[in-house]
Amino acid sequence: MMIRAIVRPEKVEEVKAALLEAGYPAVTKMEVFGRGKQRGLKVGNVTYDELPKEMLMIVVQDYEKDVIVRTILENARTGEKGSYGDGKIFISPVEEVYTISSGLKEG
Amino acid sequence: MKEVMAIIRMNKINATKSALVDAGFPAFTANRVMGRGKKALDKELVKAIDSGAIDGADVLPMIARGPSLMPKRLISLIVPDNCVPDVVKTIMDTNKTGNPGDGKIFVMPILDVVRVRTGEAGITAVDEMSGKK
Repeated sequence: MMIRAIVRPEKVEEVKAALLEAGYPAVTKMEVFGRGKQRGLKVGNVTYDELPKEMLMIVVQDYEKDVIVRTILENARTGEKGSYGDGKIFISPVEEVYTISSGLKEG
Repeated sequence: MKEVMAIIRMNKINATKSALVDAGFPAFTANRVMGRGKKALDKELVKAIDSGAIDGADVLPMIARGPSLMPKRLISLIVPDNCVPDVVKTIMDTNKTGNPGDGKIFVMPILDVVRVRTGEAGITAVDEMSGKK
């Protein structure tokens, strides 16, 4: 199961540390630019509709999904109730996983 | 159709690119990413600390922070179902050094593909990925 989370760049280190704590060291991150439901950020007359975010990609067994999602939610949120721009988590199925160094199929 | 997503070493990208073209899979998307794998702790190091060969107090704070992210390349190809084993084998053969850090390959389902230029959808939109040279 692939979990892709788009989070605030400044929250990445926190999320990474929390995932490591929870026993999930493996993560891939990439810089992305995007906008959400609020159509970006409006400051005065200028609209920023390509906001910098980081995308974290984690592949885990199906039963581990909930722990990961909870860890990301708890650590990527800003403020008490969270705020706009905290990001999204997407989950998609993965059918096969191979480790290149061993040449083995996982799972 | 399936998406074959692979995370590989930076210096293997050119070899992988040409190997995939040679195998008949020219279409290709690549991205620079940062990542780390399951090897959170160096087993040799842990063993050395346990046996008292090196002083744990010096190294433990470094270990506790966990491994930092390493630069990797993420490549992604959309191929017809029957080509998945070929693509996986090609990537595996080109990137395997046998050491940790060689990367991972993920295979995921793709529901539909549309070619923007012509608007054609489905399997004909990825007809260049037939695996024929």
